[in-house]
Amino acid sequence: MDEVQQFLELMGSKLTRVVQKPRRLYFYIPPEEVLTVADYLFNQLGCRLSTATAQETYDGIEIIYHFSLDRKGQYFCPRVLLNKEQPRVKSIVPIVQGAIWIEREIFDFWGVEFEGHPRMERLLALHHPENLDKPLRFGRQV
Amino acid sequence: MGWYKRRLAKSLWVFHVSGSPCNNCDIEILDLLTPKYDVERFGIKLVGSVRHADVLLVTGVFNQKIAPRIKRIYEQAPKPIFVVAIGTCTSGTCCFKDSYNIVPDREAVIPIDVYVPGCPPKPEAMIEAVAKLIGVLNG
Amino acid sequence: MTENKIPVGPFHPLLEEAEYFELKVEGEMVVDIDMEIGWMHRGHEFISESKAFTQSIYLVERICGICSTSHPLACVHAIEDIDNIEIPMRARYIRTLIGELERVHSHLLWLGLAGHFIGYDTLWMWAWKYREPVLEMFEAISGNRNHYGMMRVGGVAKDVESEKIPHLLQILDEIDRKMEMIAKAAHDDPVLKSRLKGVGVLKKADAIAYCAVGPTARASGLAIDVRKDEPSDAYDLVDFNIVVLPNGDVYDKLVVRLLEIIESNKIIRQCLEQLKTVPGPILNNVKEITPGEGIGRYEAPRGEVFHYIKSDGTNRPVRHKVRAPSYVNIPTFMASCKGIPVADALITLAAVDPCYCCTERALRVVNAGSEHLDLLALSRAKTEQLRREIYGK
Repeated sequence: MDEVQQFLELMGSKLTRVVQKPRRLYFYIPPEEVLTVADYLFNQLGCRLSTATAQETYDGIEIIYHFSLDRKGQYFCPRVLLNKEQPRVKSIVPIVQGAIWIEREIFDFWGVEFEGHPRMERLLALHHPENLDKPLRFGRQV
Repeated sequence: MGWYKRRLAKSLWVFHVSGSPCNNCDIEILDLLTPKYDVERFGIKLVGSVRHADVLLVTGVFNQKIAPRIKRIYEQAPKPIFVVAIGTCTSGTCCFKDSYNIVPDREAVIPIDVYVPGCPPKPEAMIEAVAKLIGVLNG
Repeated sequence: MTENKIPVGPFHPLLEEAEYFELKVEGEMVVDIDMEIGWMHRGHEFISESKAFTQSIYLVERICGICSTSHPLACVHAIEDIDNIEIPMRARYIRTLIGELERVHSHLLWLGLAGHFIGYDTLWMWAWKYREPVLEMFEAISGNRNHYGMMRVGGVAKDVESEKIPHLLQILDEIDRKMEMIAKAAHDDPVLKSRLKGVGVLKKADAIAYCAVGPTARASGLAIDVRKDEPSDAYDLVDFNIVVLPNGDVYDKLVVRLLEIIESNKIIRQCLEQLKTVPGPILNNVKEITPGEGIGRYEAPRGEVFHYIKSDGTNRPVRHKVRAPSYVNIPTFMASCKGIPVADALITLAAVDPCYCCTERALRVVNAGSEHLDLLALSRAKTEQLRREIYGK
């Protein structure tokens, strides 16, 4: 059976607003399910974490994890929606080592706190001469 | 100082400072040292420490984090030192005008003597700039 | 236990870009490594969200001067992924041609710099001399040595005129000959072999854990390559192999890159031959981008470049995320630099072909050793060992 079908059957109850496009699968998951889904995608399916994107939406701050299933060219993109005032979510570093910098960068830009991250510090603006007290992208309008 | 500058012009040692560039100018600077352009025939040599340098080759649009470091590099350099700004980023701001993290006035960080615009400038343009600098030093 | 730290950077003679490393060392051995980046951060993602799509392509080209085709190509793939825009056949071949030429010039650049880092300047001058014909080809095709400005949504900006092709093929023949020679020479070089073999090993498990990509992953036995996994442009129409080696040391990374140059030359030749006959327009007229989101990726010389674009139906992206390959490859130092001598750490750091303009970084060495070691005896033993390896005595 194809991996996407298998994933949808197993995790289907946790997913909302599923969008399926050729080679792409976007879906929302509740923030407390991040570890379960990441564990399944990384350890069971053998996906690679490409990166994670954070963005500001009307409802809050949204983080999209991009898991790539390299042997099929398929992307799984779980997204979580976080509270704008105090964005917090569980860190996936215990499962995917490669997420260390990715999560630090999101903390730096958007102020999202990752619980359980080994080193929750700014990445790009560490030791910045301006002594920034806000995330880099906070409240910046284009 | 005239005799000193004339002596300096015989062999300029350059140190390369990258202040948030896109790498392209830096690679073209290294290209100058390799067999096709070979600026060592003018006595120009790339050195590993700023304390040996006569010329600083500066690239990139300085961001706020690196600007104090560039200032410190300039202060560490033995004087007289000449600063050549390579690329459109240092001359203008290229496409980074709207960024939140750049220094708007690069001349306020370090004084710049020669500008070489271009994105990236051709190696020939850089050679011309340095040759002009040598001409000025010779009076 | 006194803790010894060796700070490196942000300005240092090893690499062109500014970055800061801190190596924790015990005697001569590195026990821990810390990196700090941010010296090159110019806020591309933020600026791109205020630009029209066409301007974004110009902007992402200036993320990195070495991968200056990979970023625009991944960016247009992302925009095309939103609407499933079709690309004309001729444009597909031209895109592949430019992308592969870039791979050749980037790998040669790394080979030269790697030689420079281990104090082998002959290799540096040599590799860069043979890189010049590649730049000549670029100049003939696009009019510039770097920053080609060839990519557009729905095609490419410039055609490769048929009268140029014999000339390009002629240059390619010359490059081919030189590459075979240089690959053979670098492969058999006793200096390179004894200096790089077994140095800075990145195990396969670590490569998976740190999500490494590109030649760094392929030298550790992970067969991932976007060109095969998700073929776009003309990659499903040309014949090539991906190079995978099992050991994960710096020498394997060198060999992977050398063999990839030869594979890329094969692709370039096929593209040029096809361009003689494939007719057609080079640009589809794309009127508007509908609301939606798209992921675009391309196998840059250093690994997978990832672009995510969300559009709301206007002419500007709402969110534009860029992830460069070095960004995921640099954290692998935390695995590959532990337990090796400081002298080896530097070439290991250079071995992933880090591009700080893409990523921005810094490294620091810390010496945590309290034992007093006889440095003279150590260095004599090492010289003796190297001599044995080279001459087999």
